[in-house]
Amino acid sequence: MIKIRMPLFITRHVLLALILGGVAGIGFMVFLTEFDHFTSTEAFCTNCHSMELVAEPYRESAHFRPASGVRASCGDCHVSEGVFAATWDHFIGGKDLYNQIFGPDYDDPVIAKLHMPEAAFSAREWFKKRNSATCKRCHVKEAIFGTRPDTVEIHKQDAKDKSCIECHYNLVHAKVPAESVFKRDEWNRMVEQEFGLKRGAADKLLEK
Amino acid sequence: MRNVRITRWYLHLLLFAFPLWLGAINISFADKVSLDSSNWGLEEGEACISCHKKSSAGLTHQWQSSAHASAGVNCLDCHYADQVDKDAIEHEGSIIATIVSPKDCGHCHTREYKETEGSVHSKALSLIKNRIPALADNLTGQEMVTAGCAKCHGSKVEVRGDGSLSPDSWPNTGIGRINPDGSRGSCSACHGRHSFSKAQARDPSACAWCHSGPESPDKGVFDSSKHGMLFAANREKMNLHSDEWVLGKDYSAAPTCVTCHMGATPGVAASHDVGMRDAWNLNQPISEKQSLIIFEDGDRRELPESQPIPRRGNEISKLDGSMGKIKAVASSKRRRQIMSKVCLECHSKGFANGFMKQFDNVVELYNEKFGKPAQAIMLALYDMNLLTPAPFDDPLEFTYWRLWHDEGTRARHGAAMMSPNFTWWEGMHLVGQNFYGEFLPQVRELAGAEKADKLINEHVLSLDEHSWLKNPSKPNPILGYGIGKPSHD
Repeated sequence: MIKIRMPLFITRHVLLALILGGVAGIGFMVFLTEFDHFTSTEAFCTNCHSMELVAEPYRESAHFRPASGVRASCGDCHVSEGVFAATWDHFIGGKDLYNQIFGPDYDDPVIAKLHMPEAAFSAREWFKKRNSATCKRCHVKEAIFGTRPDTVEIHKQDAKDKSCIECHYNLVHAKVPAESVFKRDEWNRMVEQEFGLKRGAADKLLEK
Repeated sequence: MRNVRITRWYLHLLLFAFPLWLGAINISFADKVSLDSSNWGLEEGEACISCHKKSSAGLTHQWQSSAHASAGVNCLDCHYADQVDKDAIEHEGSIIATIVSPKDCGHCHTREYKETEGSVHSKALSLIKNRIPALADNLTGQEMVTAGCAKCHGSKVEVRGDGSLSPDSWPNTGIGRINPDGSRGSCSACHGRHSFSKAQARDPSACAWCHSGPESPDKGVFDSSKHGMLFAANREKMNLHSDEWVLGKDYSAAPTCVTCHMGATPGVAASHDVGMRDAWNLNQPISEKQSLIIFEDGDRRELPESQPIPRRGNEISKLDGSMGKIKAVASSKRRRQIMSKVCLECHSKGFANGFMKQFDNVVELYNEKFGKPAQAIMLALYDMNLLTPAPFDDPLEFTYWRLWHDEGTRARHGAAMMSPNFTWWEGMHLVGQNFYGEFLPQVRELAGAEKADKLINEHVLSLDEHSWLKNPSKPNPILGYGIGKPSHD
């Protein structure tokens, strides 16, 4: 029988603390993983009515309804891979919850649509900074064969130094122009038309 | 006395200055672009080509074999947009616009842009503004404005707040298109993108896609005319790809639409104002000769000669409703002279004048015998409340519309371009059939014998042209009467 000789400073109390700490640590990690999983689901995100508005066009998109059945859920695209990164994203995402409670009434479809462009811009920026990492969870550039013969060549040659989001945006949610050409006035007029509001009503709603 | 002198001086100025002014313009068909080539060939634009060769090989190939490509004009040179442009979009890292407006083309093709912008062609949409409610809202549906009317007359392109172009207004290459940058017209109405081939635009098919059908039956008219016959048989001798295309110099086998309506002839400058040489308006219930009013800013409009001819410096309303100061007035006579000058490259003066006389005779016959009486009766029926103000809720209104708009137009266009078939069988023969066989009987049915007789006596039977109606016993064997009998005189 091998006798393990403990260092002297490992007293019984220390041993107990280590075991308890270890279990708690594992528990915490499991909790984080589960928490990240749970908070990445469509069901969780659409708990807020405002997110339901965003989800509507998503449910019509190829990311919800692909021929292959590989469905991307909210977190698959909008939450980073890895427990720490995912937790961090959720922590930062907490500001959305704060705004949902204390900010404008995003549950109102008009308000949601009026604020949507800024949300889209920051989401695009997020993707860009991460080199479209979450897209690459499923999509491999070299494996994009498309339905036309030149799709492979385009991705090999012309899109060589680009990440997905630089070309592919406006795929899932309602269409928003690129920030560089976005015109707030035109957007407001469109929202007014869509919801049958008087001209100028959108600007007033935004000032609130 | 002094006044008379001024008027004379003015007339002389009009008569002589106008051709000089026209002659001063380069006579070749399309102006050579005078800009230095450093104005195009944006480096960023080279990147478009590599991807578009794969993603849309067809259009890229069209461009690759174009004069634009050989001159080094690339995608971005035309599609470049500024961030603040209404229709600017971000596309793979560049800010571009889908629509290349005449104003964009005008950066290099300045003269052509100014001519089309001023032309009546570019106002094709406002010209039918009043007809759309009757023909689309009532008779058919709004969908037809997009898929029918606007396809030729142009749409007002609407850019939505999300940056997309509304499918109610785009795609569209109508010649009177109102573009997001405010410019009017569409170069691709005649110059198919992305090759923008000279030869293609000189081919009558460039006009025929709109100028066909009852309102403007010119494709059929040209095809069944002597000119069309010669064109079809001599297409390969037309030198359609030539840089310059002056009649009698670069080609002579046949004239096309371009030749007579906008082409260069020795002494006559080419112009992208296609309606400039038209002396008559052939698309109204009653045809009128018309002057061309040229405004100081280059804009133009037609003015029927029944209206007093305004003078240089006067202000009159433009087609868009605003007021404009008149720079020059080209009378119908002057316009006819320019058109006839084209004829003289191939025909003698007597031949050309004789033809014009035959043409005018048909228009006047239509006007006097059918157009004016029918219009007078219709107006009387509206006045008498026998017809409601709404168009097309009585069969007579369709009959009248067909009389002048379909059949009457075919007859007049047929005569303008020498198609015997259109002038007669498709045109005046149907006008006569309709007038006597449908229009007048329907008037009788609608107004009742007493009121109808009064109207018909006043507007029809009082005219010599209709006196045969008073002589029903005069026989003719065309329908069999008297065949087999010894004689019929």
